[in-house]
Amino acid sequence: MTTGRGDVLRMNLGAIAARAQVRIVASWREKSWIVGETIFPFLAMAAFVLVYRGLKAPPIYEAFVVLGGAMIAYWNNVLWSMASQFFWEKEQGQLQLYLITPVSRMSILLGMALGGIAMTTSRAAVILAGGILIFGVPFPWERALPAFGLFLLTLAAVYSLGMILSSLFLMWGREAWYTATLFQEPIHLASGFYFPVRALGTVAASFASLLPIAVGLDGIRQVLYGEAAHGFLPLRWIPLVLVCLLALFLFLAHRSLSFMETLGKREGRLTLRGD
Amino acid sequence: MKRTLDVIRSSAWLGWQIEANWADPFLFLVYAIAKPLATTLILFFMVRVVSAGTATQDTFLFLFLGNTFFLYVTEVLIGISWAVFRDREDYETLKYIYTAPIRFLSYLLGRGFTKVTTATLGVLVALLFGKFALGLPLGGAGTPWGLVVLAVALGLVAVLWLGIILAGASLIVARHSINMNEGLSGLFFLLSGAVFPLEVLPAWARAISLALPFTYWLELLRRLILGRPYAAPLAQTPDLSLWGVLALSTAGLTVAALLWFRWCEHVARSRGLIDWKTNY
Repeated sequence: MTTGRGDVLRMNLGAIAARAQVRIVASWREKSWIVGETIFPFLAMAAFVLVYRGLKAPPIYEAFVVLGGAMIAYWNNVLWSMASQFFWEKEQGQLQLYLITPVSRMSILLGMALGGIAMTTSRAAVILAGGILIFGVPFPWERALPAFGLFLLTLAAVYSLGMILSSLFLMWGREAWYTATLFQEPIHLASGFYFPVRALGTVAASFASLLPIAVGLDGIRQVLYGEAAHGFLPLRWIPLVLVCLLALFLFLAHRSLSFMETLGKREGRLTLRGD
Repeated sequence: MKRTLDVIRSSAWLGWQIEANWADPFLFLVYAIAKPLATTLILFFMVRVVSAGTATQDTFLFLFLGNTFFLYVTEVLIGISWAVFRDREDYETLKYIYTAPIRFLSYLLGRGFTKVTTATLGVLVALLFGKFALGLPLGGAGTPWGLVVLAVALGLVAVLWLGIILAGASLIVARHSINMNEGLSGLFFLLSGAVFPLEVLPAWARAISLALPFTYWLELLRRLILGRPYAAPLAQTPDLSLWGVLALSTAGLTVAALLWFRWCEHVARSRGLIDWKTNY
């Protein structure tokens, strides 16, 4: 019996929905996890807000930190629940189940991404609400809609990058764990989560602009705060840059996943536990 | 005593193998120093973007020292309790360690020493980076380095015992409570004034801050290295009092950790939690 295009599409859409559903349900299963995922990142963000308060910086800098703190939640989700996810699945012996299903790996990853975005949004919302209500950072609500549009575009590009990383982590054992750790604070620095990325200087900020989260955050700050955001790239370029990065990352993710999976099968590393 | 020291040494070596055997030494060095350097540079740029206003190099110097030495708290505190989860649920070796003729507490202290070593590497690199790359005036002719080392060691003992308290809790809670350890570390980072002056905290938070040993530890280290006080609420507190608070709290934590850990072990064994797997 042959499978038509419609069946393939239906199966892949089903895989996306199923994988996203698992992630959303799991994120609400453990109450302590919800507290840990929302309150504790808020503490880290609060510390950096207080740094600016200690420096007697204008309140807009505190707003930079709050927006950066919300974006960090998504970056950490990409790192630990997307890029590393095939590594975890391998550790738990579930990766081979994914591989024998007749669906695209990208569908599984897209499901993870959508579920992860839903899960992380609660965390980011707490950070944003806490920043506005507790620290009283200025937030121009009238510009929230265009900023939200840019935010969605940024997330698409960031999670596409996560798909590429996922293909790399597919091959790795324990290195995946350490690499994810390595991508944490240095990316916080390069993306300008706590300060305008322009402060890095033209050369470093240009390299940082290869990271969609750095470009997106720069754009969101510019939409919300205009000149005061100390933007690096001109605002009109940013949507175009993000679309280009999205297309490039999706293409690379597709190629990379196929290549790594074939390589992993040939070398027998897809069922090899890293620990 | 010799037996205990042997166990500590062996488990420290085991911890080192677990931490470092996945990569060549250069890659491991990159990994060990990436985090402290990145957080240092984040603070550096934060100060720089507001430097046209009120922030000075002196301000950065205090933030830098607090952030650098706080690395011990995050690494060691989380590292010891994380060892319980990893051994119990990932490697599934905790039950074998328990059936071996060694004391589990000694084993965990050894694992803690591995973290102390990697954290020390990070702290030293950050200090050297601060002095030579960022040009910070760290340590002059009059800096009492012997006292600095003593203060670091005393604070580290406190961190180690606090780590043991958390490891005890980790024995009787599920894996996802790693959030508890990271959260506590984040709370200490916020309340001990590691990266901002205590006076910006609201009064109630400042009161909690002054009840934490790390607040006094960081203030003492800053005074020893830079020769002047930083936190306004502690400005009138003499150095000797800071030493006293640190020594007393370390002794208190030691006693509390020993009692608490013994109780947690008893609960874990009586409820059959030693080979508990909650990795779902």
